Amino acid sequence: MDYLQRFVRQAQLQLWAVLMFSSCLIATAWWLGSTVFKLRPGLLAIVFTAVTILVTGLIAWAAARYFLKPLQVVWQTVLHLAPSTNGEAPPKADSLRFGKELVTVLSNHIYELTAVPKVAESQPLQADLQHNFLAQNLPIPLFILDPQENITFANLAAGEYLGLKPADMVGKNAYMVLDMSFPSEDTFDNWLKGAKTAKATAVKSWERVKLNVRDSHPVRLFDLAAYYNRDNPEKIETMLVLFDHTRQYSQEDQAVSFTALSVHELRTPLSLLRGYIEVLDEELDGKLSPELQAFMLKMQAQAEQLTAFVNNILNVARVDDDQLELKLEQEDWGATLKSTVEMIGLQAKVRGITIQCSIARNLPAAAIDKLSIREVVNNLIDNAIKYSGSSKVIKVDTYLNKAGQIETTIQDFGVGIPTSVIPNLFTKFYRDHHNRASIGGTGLGLYLSKAIITAHGGNLWVRSPGEGKGSVFGFTVLPYDQLPENLKPTGGQDVTRTAHGWIKNHSLYRR
Amino acid sequence: MPEHTGKSILCIEDERFISELYSRALLKAGYRVEIVEDGKEALKMAQTDKYDIILLDLMIPNLTGIEILRKLRGTPDAPDLHSKIIVFTNLEQRDDVKADIEKQADGYIVKAEITPHELVDFLAKLK
Repeated sequence: MDYLQRFVRQAQLQLWAVLMFSSCLIATAWWLGSTVFKLRPGLLAIVFTAVTILVTGLIAWAAARYFLKPLQVVWQTVLHLAPSTNGEAPPKADSLRFGKELVTVLSNHIYELTAVPKVAESQPLQADLQHNFLAQNLPIPLFILDPQENITFANLAAGEYLGLKPADMVGKNAYMVLDMSFPSEDTFDNWLKGAKTAKATAVKSWERVKLNVRDSHPVRLFDLAAYYNRDNPEKIETMLVLFDHTRQYSQEDQAVSFTALSVHELRTPLSLLRGYIEVLDEELDGKLSPELQAFMLKMQAQAEQLTAFVNNILNVARVDDDQLELKLEQEDWGATLKSTVEMIGLQAKVRGITIQCSIARNLPAAAIDKLSIREVVNNLIDNAIKYSGSSKVIKVDTYLNKAGQIETTIQDFGVGIPTSVIPNLFTKFYRDHHNRASIGGTGLGLYLSKAIITAHGGNLWVRSPGEGKGSVFGFTVLPYDQLPENLKPTGGQDVTRTAHGWIKNHSLYRR
Repeated sequence: MPEHTGKSILCIEDERFISELYSRALLKAGYRVEIVEDGKEALKMAQTDKYDIILLDLMIPNLTGIEILRKLRGTPDAPDLHSKIIVFTNLEQRDDVKADIEKQADGYIVKAEITPHELVDFLAKLK
């Protein structure tokens, strides 16, 4: 933050200087008018007012020229540095990208406003920028490149970032100084090549760019924004602005990989357990006593429940990282629901619960991500089973509601939910209800289901007539023809998705 | 029963319990199965194009599954294999890796989600 502080102090100093100067002007005018020229009081007032208006105008002009536009930049900068400095949640990815491109354009304005006009043709441009406190003290690294991609200016923050003196970077090729790795093929140099041939100006930003600095410095992760202007009379073509997110990104990467690794460790024994159970079930078919056969079934049901739980953990991590990816496809909702209910039927069966499933006939094709929707149905039925108490029936209904959406309800007749608890139900880890103290579960299921249904453009709701009277959970999904065009799948129809993974319907074999 | 007689599978998997369990079901369904645990060796075997299906685990020693996939499908001079490559894993991938798998593999299976029988049914869907 010391860059920002230094920047603010300098801005204050300059403002004070302007104010002192203008006060002196006004005082001098008064003194000249009253004692030297000995003007009459009326004339003196007129001259004094004129001078004041002139000086105020000058201050306003100087403020607009030198402070207001740059202040916008500072404001944006502070906003966008906020996530890494004060822990505030970052803005949504799209607005962040837009914001960064805006900052880059505005930074270019500072540069053009404050540096260019004073430079004589023979004088090297950077000489003046070096003395420009705004460009120098902007708390974000800033580079300016000429048409040959040589660095013509680097500010103090850029120097500190790379562990180099800004003066040492000037004149060197940008690619020699900035060793950047991009997360995809869409790299800065590719973009610049395209921009140079196609456009007069272009702005672009990248996320999670890796900057490999000298050995003594650790790798930095940042967002990069670039501004290109071919027709700039000063031959300054490209401006690069670096937004440091090293701490935030490396924490996120660790969180993701920790979850991924834990899930991997849990899944391997689970794969084996489910496989062995299947083999035993098959080989021992008919040889087990009814009691042992029932144990076998329960074992299978428990292994499946554990698998579903591990998937929940993973998906909650995805929701929290904004990484939940849905592929909304045109599906027969009735058939999907029926097969899902059959899959979880084992859980109900081992507890002696019957699931009554009724599917309306007039249902249109639904826009769903089959795998995620299955998790929602699984979670809701799993809850209904857990909270059924001594009741032995669960009702699943699906129909077209008044709004023309496909609505599905899952009703149990068990312990019910007190009205006071309902608003908190969809919060992560919420299980704070005395009736439920003895019942297992993590409170992740409803949180996740809500996120999945919302991502489908639907709504998840709950209704309970009161404690002891059971509860109804319902959710809506959109008919496929109501799905906005931008959410429809693009070219993914050649892939078949199943409960276990996906397969391509065409061959990659070229011959 | 052995409707898949003659079709051969290369199972690249270093966890013996897994390969033993799944290959048992595949053998019963009539496939011929070869198991390999080492990444480098697996790549050599895959390059012979002797196999109709390659089941590829991602966490294997010496050469990871992703590296094998990239060498088999991700470079311009990659061999033109007729084998179907099915990624067979429990590991969650980063987005860039996921994109490579979607581009270069013929299929993807989460091991924990599929029992040996279901694997046989899944592979039967391969064209």
